[in-house]
Amino acid sequence: MEVGPVSTDEGSGAVLSGDRTERGATGSPRIGSGLDYVPPRSWMPSEGDGMRADPMVDDGNRRPRGRRGPLSGIRVADFCWMGVGSVATRMLADFGAEVIKIENRARLDTPRRLPIYKDDPRSYGAEDPNPDPNKGGLFNNYCRNKLGVTINMRSPQGRELVEKLIGKSSVVTENFAPGVMERWGLTYERVQELSPEAIYAHMSGFGQTGPYSSYRSYGPIVQAVSGLTFISGLPDREPSGWGFSYMDNQAAYYNSAALLMAIMQRNATGKGAQIDVSAVEAGISLLGPDLLDVAVNSRPTRRPGFPPGNRLEYPRAAPHGVYPCAGEDRWVAIAVFDDTDWERLVDIMGGPAWTSDPRFGSQQNRFDNQDVLDAHLSEWTRSREPHEVMHLLQRGGVCAGAVQDARDLNEVDPQVAHYDLFFELDHPVIGPARFEGNPIRFSRIEQDNWRSAPLLGEDNSYVFTEILGLSDDEVRELAAVGAI
Amino acid sequence: MNETDGRDATPYTGLVVVELADDLAGEQAGKQLAELGADVIKVETPEGSRSRRTGPFAKDVVGVDTSLTFWTYNAGKRSVILDGSDSGRAALRALIAKADVLLATLRPSELAEAGLDYQQLLETHPRLIVLSVTPFGLEGPWADYRTSDLVGLAAGGPLMSCGYDDHSIPPIRPGGNQGYQTAASFAHCGLLLALIERQQTGVGQLVDVSMHCSLAVSGELANPYWFYPKVLVQRQTSRHAQPEMTQPALFRCADDRWIYFALILAEQKPWEALVEWMDSLGLAVDLTDAEYSNLTHRQQNFHHVQDLIEVFFLLMDSAAAYHEGQRRGLPIGPVQAPEDLFDDPHLAARNFFAPVSGDEGVTALVPTSPFRFSSFDVPSPRRAPRLGEDTAEILADLGEAQHRGIPG
Repeated sequence: MEVGPVSTDEGSGAVLSGDRTERGATGSPRIGSGLDYVPPRSWMPSEGDGMRADPMVDDGNRRPRGRRGPLSGIRVADFCWMGVGSVATRMLADFGAEVIKIENRARLDTPRRLPIYKDDPRSYGAEDPNPDPNKGGLFNNYCRNKLGVTINMRSPQGRELVEKLIGKSSVVTENFAPGVMERWGLTYERVQELSPEAIYAHMSGFGQTGPYSSYRSYGPIVQAVSGLTFISGLPDREPSGWGFSYMDNQAAYYNSAALLMAIMQRNATGKGAQIDVSAVEAGISLLGPDLLDVAVNSRPTRRPGFPPGNRLEYPRAAPHGVYPCAGEDRWVAIAVFDDTDWERLVDIMGGPAWTSDPRFGSQQNRFDNQDVLDAHLSEWTRSREPHEVMHLLQRGGVCAGAVQDARDLNEVDPQVAHYDLFFELDHPVIGPARFEGNPIRFSRIEQDNWRSAPLLGEDNSYVFTEILGLSDDEVRELAAVGAI
Repeated sequence: MNETDGRDATPYTGLVVVELADDLAGEQAGKQLAELGADVIKVETPEGSRSRRTGPFAKDVVGVDTSLTFWTYNAGKRSVILDGSDSGRAALRALIAKADVLLATLRPSELAEAGLDYQQLLETHPRLIVLSVTPFGLEGPWADYRTSDLVGLAAGGPLMSCGYDDHSIPPIRPGGNQGYQTAASFAHCGLLLALIERQQTGVGQLVDVSMHCSLAVSGELANPYWFYPKVLVQRQTSRHAQPEMTQPALFRCADDRWIYFALILAEQKPWEALVEWMDSLGLAVDLTDAEYSNLTHRQQNFHHVQDLIEVFFLLMDSAAAYHEGQRRGLPIGPVQAPEDLFDDPHLAARNFFAPVSGDEGVTALVPTSPFRFSSFDVPSPRRAPRLGEDTAEILADLGEAQHRGIPG
C-alpha cells in the first residue's frame, strides 16, 4: 500500500509546513509521548484505495466522498447497533472517519424499527410488524455520516466478506452480547491477523469478563444496577430515576473517548489495542460524592430523607427547586446558594413582605424552612412564564433556568440557535430532517456532515467493489446466495 | 507521576494540563485526564476551589482538605495556589506556556476579569489547546448566564423527561451531578479530537464546550420525537418519557427492594420465558392459556397481566428476580443502592474498586477508571491534593523552566 499524506487538501498541507517551523522554534519534540506530530501511517488509506480525497462538496448524489476532519483516513468496520454503539461511532463519523455500518437484513437494528416517523405520531411500542427500515427517525439521527452495508454472518461467504472488510479497516467496533463476535471467529487475535494495527472496541453492559458478563442490559437496566436510579427521586417513595436511557448516551460518550484515546496512542506508537468498556462501570464512576460518602463515612444511602429530590444538601442551597409557572406542566428551576443570591432574588421580586420573615434570615434558616419558602416562591412564579422568570433572575445575577422541552430547544432557545446545534440533511425516504449536532465548537475542526443515514444496504456496491475489489458479478452472486 | 509497570505508557503520559476550573464539569474533565496519567495542575485561589467547601466531608470533619465532593472530582491532580497578584498572574502565564492544555470554566465576563484572552494565548502558544467548558458556551445571548446542575439539566432539556407519573409533582433532578458529567464527557472527547488534530498539524486550538448544548443533544428520544412526528414526550416514573403514558416498569419485591423490568408485549420470546418462569412457581394463573400466545389478547388483557406480574415479583427477593430472570434471558435489573455495589461479585471479579488512602486516616474503596485497554494498565487511583500541596514543587519547576528560557 502506498503511504501518502492524510489529506491532499491544500489548507492542511499549508498547516503541516507551518507546523514544522513552529516546532523548530519552540524546542525539541517529546519522542514517543504521543502528543506531537506523527507522520502518516500505513493503515491510513491513500488515494486509489477506495477513499477519494476530493471533492469536498456535497453534490447531492449520496456517493461516498473523501472526508474532512481529524479522523479522515480511518476506516471503521462497525458492527454496532441499538443506542450505545451507534452513538459511540457517530462521533467518529461526524469528524471524518469512514464508518461502515454492518447490518443484518434478517434482524433490523432497533432504531430502524422504532416508529419515530415524520408526521405520524405513535408511541414507542406501536411498531409496525413489518416496518419500512428506511423510515425510522432515530436511526437517521444515530447513523448520519456513516456508510451502510448488509452482510449475513450466518453464511460462510458473509463471514469471508467481513474478514476482507476488517482487513481494509483499522478499527473494529461492536456492542453485541459478549461472545457473539468470537463465535464468528472474530477474536482479537484473528482481527490482528487481518489488520495488524487494529483497534478492537467492545462495548457492553457488564464488560467482557466476570460472572454477569452475559447478562442482558439496556439503558434503564444499567441505570438500575449501577445505582443511578436509586439516587434519583423524592425521599421515602419509589425512585423517579431516569426518563430516558442516560447511560446509552454516557456509555456511548465513554466509548467514543476510548476509541479516540486508542487512535491517538496508535498514531504515536503504531500499536492497536483491544478495548473493554462496561456501561455499568461507567455508571458507577458517575455516581459522585454519594458513593464516597458510603465508602468513607459508612453512611448508607438507604436512609430516611434520601434521595433529596430537587433539594440540594451539598452545598446547602435554598431555595433550590423546580417551581410551577403559567401554563400546563410548565416549570422553572431556581438555585440560590448564598446571601448575595438571596438578596438579589428578593430585589427582583420587589421585596415582598414574606421575604423579611426571620425564618428566611440566613442561608441555614432558609435551608431549614424550605417547605414554607418553596410555597411562597411558587406563588410568585406561578403567574409567570418559565422564560420570563429565567431572564429576570439571570439578568439580576441569580441562577435560574426554564425547564425546557424539545419544542423550546428547537423553536425558542436562542443559545441553541446561535450554536447551530441542530442541523438539517435530506434523506431519500424521510425527506429533509433535523439532527442533533455536536455541542463542541472548535476553532480548527468542523463536523463534516456529508449525508443522512444510509438506506439498508445502500453502500453495498461501493464498499464491496471499490474498497474490497470485488467485481459486480461477484457482488450479484453474494446477493443471490443470501450473503449480503 | 506516571509510573507504568512494563506495559506501554497511557495515552496521557506526559500531557500537561493547567486547570482553572471552579465547577464540577471542568473538575470532572480534569479528573478523567488525571486518572489516565495526565499531569493535571489545578490552579486554586488561597481560599481553595468552591468544591472544597462542599460537603459531605470525610468523617464529618469540615475543612478544605476533607470534602468528598472535592475528592470525587479532583483525584490524581496536583494543586498550586496562585493569587491575583502580578506575580500570581505571571506564574499562571508561565504555567500555561509549559502546558499542552489549558482547561478552564470561565464565562466571558470572568475571562475578562481574569485578564485572559484565549485568542492571544493561542497566538503566543500555537501548540496550546484551550479546553473551555462553560455553562452555555463562550458565545451567544446566554453566554454569561449562571448555571448549576439542576439549572443546567432544566434548560438543556433532560429534566423535563424525568419525574413521576403524577404531573402535579415537578420534574425531578436525577442524582449525581449528571448535568456537569454530560458536559465533562463532551469535553473529554473534544480534547481528544483536538489532540489528534495536533498530532497531524502540530497546532492547537480553542475547544468551546457548552454544558447547555451538551445536554440539549443528550435527551435520547425527546428531540427525535420533536424532529419527526412533532410530539412532546411525557415524563413517567423511572421509565422512558414517551408521547403516551405506558405501564409501570418498577416492581416491588419481597425484600422491599425494587427491580426494573419493562415487559414488551409484542416480543414473543420474553413473553414465553416469563410465563414459563411464573408457571414453574405455580403463579402463572391463566397466562398459560392458549389465547395468550396471541398479541392482541395480551394487549386486551394487559391490566390483568400487569397485576399478575406484580404479585409474582412481590413473592421473591430482588436478587432472585435479578439472577433467575437473567438466567432465563429476561433483561431485569435490581435498583441497587451505592452501598450494594461493594459486595457485587461481578464487580469484584473485575477488580473494579481499588483502595485509595486520603486524609483523616481514611482508606476507602473507590471506582477505578471505567476504561480497559489491552495496550496499557489504567493507573491505580490516587487521592485528591490538599490545598496548595504542590505549590512549592510547581513553582520551583517553573523557576527552572524560566531559567532555561521558556517564555513566561
